[in-house]
Amino acid sequence: MNKLAVVVTTPPYSNLSVTALEYIETALKSGIELVGVFFYQDGVIHANQQVQIASDEFQCLTQWQALQLTYKLPLHLCITAGEKRGLNDEDTNNIHPIFTVSGLGELVELANKADRVVQF
Amino acid sequence: MSNTFSNLTAILNSKAPFSNTAGKDALDIALIFGSFEQPTSLFFQGDGVWQLIQEQNGTIISVKDYLKTFAAFEFYDLENIYVCQESLIQRGLTTDFHIDNVQVLAKGDFAKKLAIHHTILRF
Repeated sequence: MNKLAVVVTTPPYSNLSVTALEYIETALKSGIELVGVFFYQDGVIHANQQVQIASDEFQCLTQWQALQLTYKLPLHLCITAGEKRGLNDEDTNNIHPIFTVSGLGELVELANKADRVVQF
Repeated sequence: MSNTFSNLTAILNSKAPFSNTAGKDALDIALIFGSFEQPTSLFFQGDGVWQLIQEQNGTIISVKDYLKTFAAFEFYDLENIYVCQESLIQRGLTTDFHIDNVQVLAKGDFAKKLAIHHTILRF
């Protein structure tokens, strides 16, 4: 009975996303089962592999990659929010492969699977 | 009766309707949760109460008038709609809403009602 879902609505150039990443990492290290992360609103910008954050600033994508690799963490992207922000899973395919293209139905699934949902 | 569901979801609206997409993004979630037959309540607090005020028309300022879709809440079984009384009073607003069946709650009751929900999503 220790399942967590996280909703990320903040973009990769926001320090609020660092807080989200630190929270998620701490939860995973504490043995809490993370059923998935759902990216919504400006949170979907995390998935855009063409976004360039200055090298002396925090690199969210590197952290997401590390978490996904270590914990097989499901990273779901709301594609409607993504398309509004230039993400495309067909022609240009600028979505980083660690992200799963999903819709709001996936958020319903995650909310049902989790004992707790935390939104950033 | 829906209060007995362990997966009761609250969507808390805290932003005015047309300066950003928060209200529309919250509405999209409410309609999806409704169509998946998830017991879901809508809360309006702070500047979010402006979303319920009558005779607003986003199309005049070239914003899609998503407030019209509130009329479909019943169709999506979204029947629990709560508004914070203090937020209305602070803004000098009356209870003339553009949809029916809105329950006005004093802030203590509003907080208690919110607290019985398993999941809270805030926009």
